Amino acid sequence: MLWLALLLPDLPLQIFTRGGIDLPLAVTAGHPRPLVVAANARARGLGVEAGQGIAAALAIAPSLHLQARVPALEAETLAEVACWAGAFSPRISLVPPDAVLLEIEASLRLFGGADAIADAIRSGLGRLGLEGALATAPTPLAARWFARAHAGTTGAPPRDWRSRLDALPLALLGDGTGVAPATLELLAGVGLHTLGEIRLLPRAGLARRQASAVIDTLARARGDLPDPQPWFVPPPQYAHRIALPAAVSDTEPLTFAARRLFAGLAAWLASRHAAVDHCLLELIHERHPATRVAIVTGAPCRDESRLALLAREHLARLELAAPVEALRLVADTPLPFAPRPDDLFGHPGRARDSAVLLLDRLRARLGSDAVHLLETRADHRPEVAWADTATAAQLPAGPGSSASASVRPARPLWLLPEPQPLAAESVTLVDGPERIEGGWWDQADIRRDYYLARGPDQALWWIFQDLEPPGTWYVHGYFG
Amino acid sequence: MSAAATVLSSAAELRSALATLPAGSVWQASRLAQGNGPIISSGFDALDAELPGGGWPANALIELLVDRPGVGELSLLLPVLNRPSSERWLAWVAPPFLPYAPALAAAGVPLSHLLLIRPAPADVLWAARQAVASGACAAVLAWPPRIDTAGLRRLQLAAEEAVTPLFLFRPYTAARQASPAPLRLVLTGAGEMLQVSILKRRGPPASAPLLLAVRRLQGNVAGLPGGGTDIEVQPEAPPSFTDGQVAAARDCGTTLRMIRRPPLPPSSRSSLLLVR
Repeated sequence: MLWLALLLPDLPLQIFTRGGIDLPLAVTAGHPRPLVVAANARARGLGVEAGQGIAAALAIAPSLHLQARVPALEAETLAEVACWAGAFSPRISLVPPDAVLLEIEASLRLFGGADAIADAIRSGLGRLGLEGALATAPTPLAARWFARAHAGTTGAPPRDWRSRLDALPLALLGDGTGVAPATLELLAGVGLHTLGEIRLLPRAGLARRQASAVIDTLARARGDLPDPQPWFVPPPQYAHRIALPAAVSDTEPLTFAARRLFAGLAAWLASRHAAVDHCLLELIHERHPATRVAIVTGAPCRDESRLALLAREHLARLELAAPVEALRLVADTPLPFAPRPDDLFGHPGRARDSAVLLLDRLRARLGSDAVHLLETRADHRPEVAWADTATAAQLPAGPGSSASASVRPARPLWLLPEPQPLAAESVTLVDGPERIEGGWWDQADIRRDYYLARGPDQALWWIFQDLEPPGTWYVHGYFG
Repeated sequence: MSAAATVLSSAAELRSALATLPAGSVWQASRLAQGNGPIISSGFDALDAELPGGGWPANALIELLVDRPGVGELSLLLPVLNRPSSERWLAWVAPPFLPYAPALAAAGVPLSHLLLIRPAPADVLWAARQAVASGACAAVLAWPPRIDTAGLRRLQLAAEEAVTPLFLFRPYTAARQASPAPLRLVLTGAGEMLQVSILKRRGPPASAPLLLAVRRLQGNVAGLPGGGTDIEVQPEAPPSFTDGQVAAARDCGTTLRMIRRPPLPPSSRSSLLLVR
């Protein structure tokens, strides 16, 4: 077993900063007198530190933004990270408040080693807008402690990992274990500094002082006792949220923050071998019902950049009713997804994808009624011999369907949406007439004689005379 | 001394000096440019002979200046539209009328590849640029409302990067505006033919306009004896044919026609004569 611990110690702060909005920000907690528990780099630059009172922090930095700590959102974000980590290993364990453990032994070959997995996790975390500490070790506790102490490695564990564990400071013993603080104080009071020094103490004496939990914990960390972990089960639907450090009334920063959510969605989908054809982006306002942006793709898709691109088009068109406090992404109907294989020559899979992407982008920005696909209909009335098939999400098919090659009278390449009465100008008839009559069955009865005619500038027109009185002449198309 | 410092006394010497240079490094204005960009044959030999590289540049903005619909401007592009292309769109951005599906299908254009985009006027350039830059289109045809040189430049860059030909239809008045398009053609009707004047190309100015028989349907119309029948349309009183005029039109040799006979008694009005 090889465990990779992913530690997010700055989670209280990062749930606000991952949206990419850079403000001096401090997170506060405590009741009745809240204190600053974390401050971002800009706030620290102004002199704000953890442990300050709110009044003191604001006196130092009047431009400081304060947010109360949101443990619920921290837990939700940790679950989001766990969902996302499903792309690297199916065996994930969640250790609140800030750690995710991955058992990566079985994934080493696929990703090319523990270092490669760690690199992929680091860059992926960056896309989620988070930063964490990583370490690998053969036991989950050791991995977590190495990450906490920034003393570990991310490659294959060194042969002497146990002696490195012995060198870790004593305080780590209280991290996510059953060891009581009083016991730690006792050990510190005896004059111990590292974990290794505990092992030199007589076990009987430790047990007498109610410190047997210490011995158990150390044994689990060293792999002498089994340490079973509860596996994390990803939720059946994706619904995650990003809080913004300050209300935003411009859509541009939202686009960036939404990208974080799409990165998480893509990894969640990848771990489920699924894709979505629609998802919902909710812009949460303080005193206003949430604005909902439906993002619909032409075909099932799990490409984060494509979803983010569509969201950008939607957001760019959006008039915000009120400043936005948070973003929420909901995808509740994952569909089975089979990626198209590329063939040996060229990349038709990619060409097809970009063809769908273009369709989606155009529909997102221009509205779906601005994009049309045409097809013919078997009807000899010109107005109904074609149809718009834009509602369905087709793709350019393979080599074009062969047209009906029947010999037929000439038809113009341009059709006027409505026949225009022939203006007072001279046209020369060159061919015709062709009688087109019919439509009693759907109340669009026509009786017309069509002619080819030469209009001004030698243009070839398709004109007709309505056979119903008064026999008006109309232009109906141009032979472009 | 370097060759550049040598004084060349005659044109012959100059020519021989040029001949020693590597091929393609010097372009003489009297010759058509032989660009190294990809080329799509226009399908018309006479036009290919006049175009640099021997066809439409596949990575460029091509301006077609045409004032009236119906001179054959679409038929000129039918060979391009008919080219088999796997899974790429033929995008039409803001066409002035409806591209008529039965006629396109009859001409061999794969309708399933046709993407008709009708944006608001302000979004036409955006849509055209997206279609070109996506690389998902085999060709893009666009009818922009009004476009400045900077906009043309952006389109040209997009076409260059994505190697997608963009045919831009503009009114003839746009000929006065400077344009970064490497190829600009003026299309006018000339009898049964389409007259193509090359306004700008990479090469010497074209001497005479080309006459192209772009319309395949013209086979029967071209053989018309002495033109057709003139009718005058008055706005108030819609004219109608005399039967003699209709008969004259019928004489021009058509494929399958329903011909209106002289006024029939109301009882037998539905009887029509089918002639071939």
